[in-house]
Amino acid sequence: MGATEGVDVIEFLGEVAAWFADPGTWSGQNGIPARLVEHLWVSAISLAASLAIGLPLGLFIGHTGRGALAAVSVANIGRAVPSLGLMGIAFLALLPLGLAIGPLPAIIALAALGVPPILVNAHAGLREVDPELVEAARGVGMSEWQVLWRVEVPVALPVILAGVRTSAVQIVATATLAAAVGGGTLGQQILIGFNVGDQVRIFGTALVVALLSIGTELLFAWIQRAATSPGLRGRPHVPTQPAQVGRGGGESGSWGS
Amino acid sequence: MRTYRTFVLGAAMLALLLSACSSGEGNGSSADASTPAGSQAAGSQAADLPEITIGSAGFWESAVVAEIYAQALEKAGFTVERELELGARDVTHPALVDGQIDIMPEYIGGYLAVTYGGEPTSDVEESLEALRTELEADGLVALEPTPGTDADGFAVRQETADELGLATMSDLAEVADQLRWGVAQECAENPNCGPGLERVYGIDFDSLDVETLGACNSAIAEALNANNIDVAQVCTTQPEIAAFGLVLLEDDKGLAPAQNIVPVVRQELMDAAGDLIESTLNPISELLTTEELTNLGNQVVINGESYEDAAAQWLEDNGF
Repeated sequence: MGATEGVDVIEFLGEVAAWFADPGTWSGQNGIPARLVEHLWVSAISLAASLAIGLPLGLFIGHTGRGALAAVSVANIGRAVPSLGLMGIAFLALLPLGLAIGPLPAIIALAALGVPPILVNAHAGLREVDPELVEAARGVGMSEWQVLWRVEVPVALPVILAGVRTSAVQIVATATLAAAVGGGTLGQQILIGFNVGDQVRIFGTALVVALLSIGTELLFAWIQRAATSPGLRGRPHVPTQPAQVGRGGGESGSWGS
Repeated sequence: MRTYRTFVLGAAMLALLLSACSSGEGNGSSADASTPAGSQAAGSQAADLPEITIGSAGFWESAVVAEIYAQALEKAGFTVERELELGARDVTHPALVDGQIDIMPEYIGGYLAVTYGGEPTSDVEESLEALRTELEADGLVALEPTPGTDADGFAVRQETADELGLATMSDLAEVADQLRWGVAQECAENPNCGPGLERVYGIDFDSLDVETLGACNSAIAEALNANNIDVAQVCTTQPEIAAFGLVLLEDDKGLAPAQNIVPVVRQELMDAAGDLIESTLNPISELLTTEELTNLGNQVVINGESYEDAAAQWLEDNGF
């Protein structure tokens, strides 16, 4: 039995390889490239919306300490709302406006998915900046605005960007949802695979989505590294890492779980 | 720092709890339907009648039709076990062949195509004949079909139908390019959808204003009802057609393969039960029109009635 299953798996992977080699997979409206472009487009708009909401809020509460508990609570509870459900609600809400079909419901759900890591990390990053450093900045006569942009944000940048990275990866991995309401993306290929019972197509496309998520992770890790001030890089004791969770050096910060 | 961590932990726990709660709700509605309606073995006729196990596929229509069979057969004196919502054909077909279930409602075209690799047409008799030939080798019998069919179809809003005078797919073909279409994701590659519209009705599918959604789900019906699209690919017995008062266009040139429902019965049971199975189930099939099936769906899916209640009510309303 086990041997037969082994053969089946190899046979299946062979079919997946053949699917990748098929020019039809790479051309036309349902081809990988067309869907990939849609996928990246939907993801990019969603991430931009997450940033537009999460970053100012996170920096504000991180800098002032005001409303932190409420904002972080809401952000964390927001994590529990399933994206598919949220997209369904957005779909219904957009029906009367005639905007329900297309990428918009998914963008709303994905933007909401992306806000918590950005917000929580921006807040945590700023809170963990050495208070003496902030006091010193004030002492030399910097305005609050200058303290934020010249001291707090640069020092907290690795943690802030770790949040952006987490958001980006989650969004790219979840953008497949959009296909259910006419938003296209690689999810369309997966749904078609389900509807016509084509496991090879489901698996192959899911593999592309997974690779895309990994690629996103690597890209943002590189950005994070490139954007980190040389003065903060490679020091064993970096005061910008609130929670030493996960990968090397705790880069994933407070959103490490 | 410490309070922050504690807080994150607390929030994470809460998140876990919430998501656990929300993911469970899908199972609730159907769970009670599979409970047997009480054994009636005490009935006087039951002594010499074989015991019957009725199965169904994993969705409402198959389950409610199976429940109707079950109650009717109980009234006829059989002892009936229910195995409703077993799953897809890769589960139900072996169960029928092996005798774990004795009867289940099946769709002519789907059964012929999926299980036997046949090619159903829109002709009910022809497709049923082909299915019966295949079933015989598996020791199975298909009884008489319902007039109702659960096939792919197209629906419009009542106002669109009135305005443009639409009753059939041929009518729709005349105005196809003026309307916004919502079709299944795979429509463009499904020979019975995109290419079929072109072949049978001369609708140039590629030139249409098309949005892709899931056919047969409530989102596409909602989108049609709320004027986000004008034509929706639906399943012909989809409950929302009744709930929203949508107009299902008649497939006048026969695009969709016949998906009429037949009771599929094990030959062994037929032999043991005389003609009591046929005489009980055929009159039921005769009355199950597309509209009746849609209304049953409206009751169990939209109004949340149990299969048991909906089936009992239907049997009573139809004088069984």
